[in-house]
Amino acid sequence: MSSDPKVWVASILTIMAYSYLFKENEFYKAMEHLYVGVAAGYTVVMGYTNVVSKVWEPLTKKGSWWVLIPAVIGLCLFAPYIGARYAWLRRIPVAVIAAIGAALSARTAVTEQFVQQLRASMISLTTLDNVIIALGTLATLSYFIFTVRPNPVLRAGAEAGKWVIMVTLGAAFGAGIMGRISLLIGRLFLLFQDWIPLIKPR
Amino acid sequence: MEFFKRLGEIDNRVIYILLILSLLIPLMKPLGLPISVGAHTRRSFSVIDKLQAGDRVIVDISYSVSGAADVQPQAVAILKHLFDKGAKAIFVTTVTEGPMIIESLVKPWEQAGKRYGVDFCNLGFLAGGENAIAMYCRDIKKAYPTDYRGNATSELPVLEGIHSAGDVKMYIFFSTQNSDMYVRQVTQYKIPIIGGLINTIAPQAEPYVNAGQLAGILVGLRGGAEYEILMKSPGMGVASMDAQSMGHLLIIMSVVLGNLSYFLTRSAKPVKKGAVK
Repeated sequence: MSSDPKVWVASILTIMAYSYLFKENEFYKAMEHLYVGVAAGYTVVMGYTNVVSKVWEPLTKKGSWWVLIPAVIGLCLFAPYIGARYAWLRRIPVAVIAAIGAALSARTAVTEQFVQQLRASMISLTTLDNVIIALGTLATLSYFIFTVRPNPVLRAGAEAGKWVIMVTLGAAFGAGIMGRISLLIGRLFLLFQDWIPLIKPR
Repeated sequence: MEFFKRLGEIDNRVIYILLILSLLIPLMKPLGLPISVGAHTRRSFSVIDKLQAGDRVIVDISYSVSGAADVQPQAVAILKHLFDKGAKAIFVTTVTEGPMIIESLVKPWEQAGKRYGVDFCNLGFLAGGENAIAMYCRDIKKAYPTDYRGNATSELPVLEGIHSAGDVKMYIFFSTQNSDMYVRQVTQYKIPIIGGLINTIAPQAEPYVNAGQLAGILVGLRGGAEYEILMKSPGMGVASMDAQSMGHLLIIMSVVLGNLSYFLTRSAKPVKKGAVK
């Protein structure tokens, strides 16, 4: 058995988490609350560090007074906690965050996600892969055409598009399962290699 | 028929136990199943292999602890490749756990003699998600006046002469989120981008690889294992592959048997009054 107390804590918490698979119980609930608490605590510490390095130090050491502008806008997020009459102030930082995010994304989304993807779809039909990509793209697009009265060709394309979408979602679901198995393997390494040495390190 | 009926009513907990056993036994007694290396991993490896000693690379470690089992083996393998080539790594992150994960990744290399500030640096967490990526790509020293260890970034030799992402040779990200924001914010700097992704979001990144916007991707734990094979340095990824294969086999069998049970016993079930046939 491991002599590292951190491994013991992590292993016992892992078992408490997985005990939910048997049935919901007090150990699971305790672990769930602990997890949320630790995650919140860690985020608060990171937030505090961020404020110190991005606001306090530039302000006190370099005299960069303009860092107060985003800091004050950020503080407005907490306005509703002062009183309901100040709640409207929260809209200012939300608007700033949403506007900057939308502007940054929109600036490059057209070129990188629309034009480049269109260009990548214009391929020579010389290989089977390319033919499948071209037909799959057309079929999927035809599934989403709602403004034209359906005719037999469009209906056939839409039906094929439905299958392409189903295959894509199936691949995503399969990949999702693969990811969950990887996470479980990670926990088994902790339990049966780091804690109880049943798995030999390679 | 009775067998299939009972199969359809099997307790979930039996499947959980079978799944854990199907993963644990191959981990304890490896089966040695062959692992083929996919095109995505080969492509990523060859792009990174072209780096020269002294080349600087931005490495964004933006995966959460909960997704680490899927992505960490990739990060470990690629970091080994970078440092073996003599490249220098500039670590950044946009998730709160990131700085801690970066420190754990560089610890063995620091003990092996890699110098902080010269061979690598940990710039720490920058809030804002996509906004943060856009900000540090545009002006890394402005986005990070100090690093995670409290040093002024203007004094770090590894950042000398670097202003934007266009001044480094490559951008590598490891993420549990989708790759859209990296494509939107980094491709404009015309440097190769490699993505280390969790399995769940990897299919979404495929169009970007086909379009050449991502130079390569590694997909989940399997991608990490494949990279370890190319590096001739088997680690946790390779050790997990037998278990993953057996887990998948069990799930496929469960899906097939579950469907068989459903279809074979469906006609035997009484149809409720008013139910749609």
